[in-house]
Amino acid sequence: MKLAGKTLIVLLLTLGAFIAVAPFLWLLSTSFKGTEELFAFPPSLIPKHGVTQNYSGVWNAVPFGIYFINSIIVAATSIFLNVLISSLAGFSLARFRFRGRNFFFFLIISTMMIPKEVIIIPLYTTVLRMGMADSLLGVILPFAVEGFGIYMMRLAFLSIPKEIEEAGIMDGVSSLQLWWRVMLPMTKPSMAALTIFTFIGTWGDFLWPLVVLKSPEHYTLQVGLSSMIGTFVDNYRYVAAGSVLAIVPVIIVFLFMQKYFERGIFAGASK
Amino acid sequence: MSRRTPYFFLLPAIVFLAWFMVVPALQIFYYSFLNYSVFSASTFVGMENYRRLFADVNFWWTLLNSFLFILVTPVLMFLSLVLALCVRNLQRGTKLFRTFYFLPVITPIVIAGIIWRWIFAEDTGIANYFLSLLSIPNVHWLTEYPTTIISIMLVTIWRGAGYYMMIFLAGLALIPKEVEEASLIDGATIFQQTFHILIPLLKPTLIFIFVISSTAAIKIFTEIYIMIPGAPMANKALVSFLYQQAFERFDLGYGSAVGVVLFLITLSFSYVNIKLIEQRG
Repeated sequence: MKLAGKTLIVLLLTLGAFIAVAPFLWLLSTSFKGTEELFAFPPSLIPKHGVTQNYSGVWNAVPFGIYFINSIIVAATSIFLNVLISSLAGFSLARFRFRGRNFFFFLIISTMMIPKEVIIIPLYTTVLRMGMADSLLGVILPFAVEGFGIYMMRLAFLSIPKEIEEAGIMDGVSSLQLWWRVMLPMTKPSMAALTIFTFIGTWGDFLWPLVVLKSPEHYTLQVGLSSMIGTFVDNYRYVAAGSVLAIVPVIIVFLFMQKYFERGIFAGASK
Repeated sequence: MSRRTPYFFLLPAIVFLAWFMVVPALQIFYYSFLNYSVFSASTFVGMENYRRLFADVNFWWTLLNSFLFILVTPVLMFLSLVLALCVRNLQRGTKLFRTFYFLPVITPIVIAGIIWRWIFAEDTGIANYFLSLLSIPNVHWLTEYPTTIISIMLVTIWRGAGYYMMIFLAGLALIPKEVEEASLIDGATIFQQTFHILIPLLKPTLIFIFVISSTAAIKIFTEIYIMIPGAPMANKALVSFLYQQAFERFDLGYGSAVGVVLFLITLSFSYVNIKLIEQRG
């Protein structure tokens, strides 16, 4: 009975894992298919005549390289701003006592209840007025800082023992040095978690870049891919190859930083 | 250290959040009372946008559909709880399973939508191919309402199960080992233990997941944009309607009225969440 139960669990989990992974294999297989095999019925799971033209095709037929670079710029800048500004704010909220601290903390937490989808209209007019419409800066700035990041960094700074702060003050370091040299290095796991959250969030973000970006040379990968479905009406092959290319960085980053990602989810879930 | 120091550290964050979050969240209410397009000066029209909105069938349909998407929540919760309980009872290979279940979570929604659009394609898709092997006639996954809602829900389940499983694992990790061991010594079966001990103790996690999953469901947009772009507006969701009004018809005032409705709904979810958290102490 015990053994039967264990076997059942493993079978169930394996089935689940198959369902989770199979669509990716289908995507990968499609990306190597030639035209004649694409709509073959019954569908072939492993391409009989694997071709790589789809990959070279997507690079040449659309400015895919530019989409890629744009996505990297958006993700890198967002990560930099988010980690820097959240750790400054988290440090302040965790290590100082000052007038209005609770008010500011409450304000920051409250912003987590404002859905992106609700504020895109006023944000669009804001970005328009700031002359940032159809620019990567317009995509980056509005969501560069989010309440969750500050919340997470505050927790990280709260967990540092008082003695370390006192030792630093004894050595006569300034507040800025205390933050940068003494404490920030101790929050590395949280910074790593915030980095991967921001990366996955901005890399996959769609609605806001779709609203802001108008010219193809400014498209991010997601906006570019969605526009390809429109123009290459049935050219599955290029879209498949493009999707594979766009997903590879996410999988690589995730596999290398899975530990921090899971830690971040645990922190978020136990708030 | 000067008395002003903590404020300097806080300043950049407050400027960003005030400028791009708090002010727009207030502006949306103001905009909803305007006749406002990007091309012309705005005029104050009072409740006109809301009067139009409440008389617009597409508003009511998309609102209904957005609420229908919440039906995905109980299914997702059940599946992810089962996965979490299974993964937890495993001695080896948990990391491998967690990695597999997480791939859909980190996949950009656009790409997930593209993949599933092909899987659900009527004549060439692999979903109907498998059904045909079982002699089941073609299902109109992406062309027939309300089947389209179910297809999109399946994608939500595919993407979300691994994420909520992780949150359940986090919740389970908070339950003291002694509680479980004591119940087993008392002779409880594994099922009794799950239903009478673990699930009641998981209540905070259940509430948390219920609220975030429902909030995510009501804001659905990208899956619809990618998977059923040609469907009539009445078969789409509230954010699709907002996007159409504001960014395809440039009626920012009217779109803002939709935004206000969405905001009030999500705020009431947050309110329920806070009340339930207070209740448990």
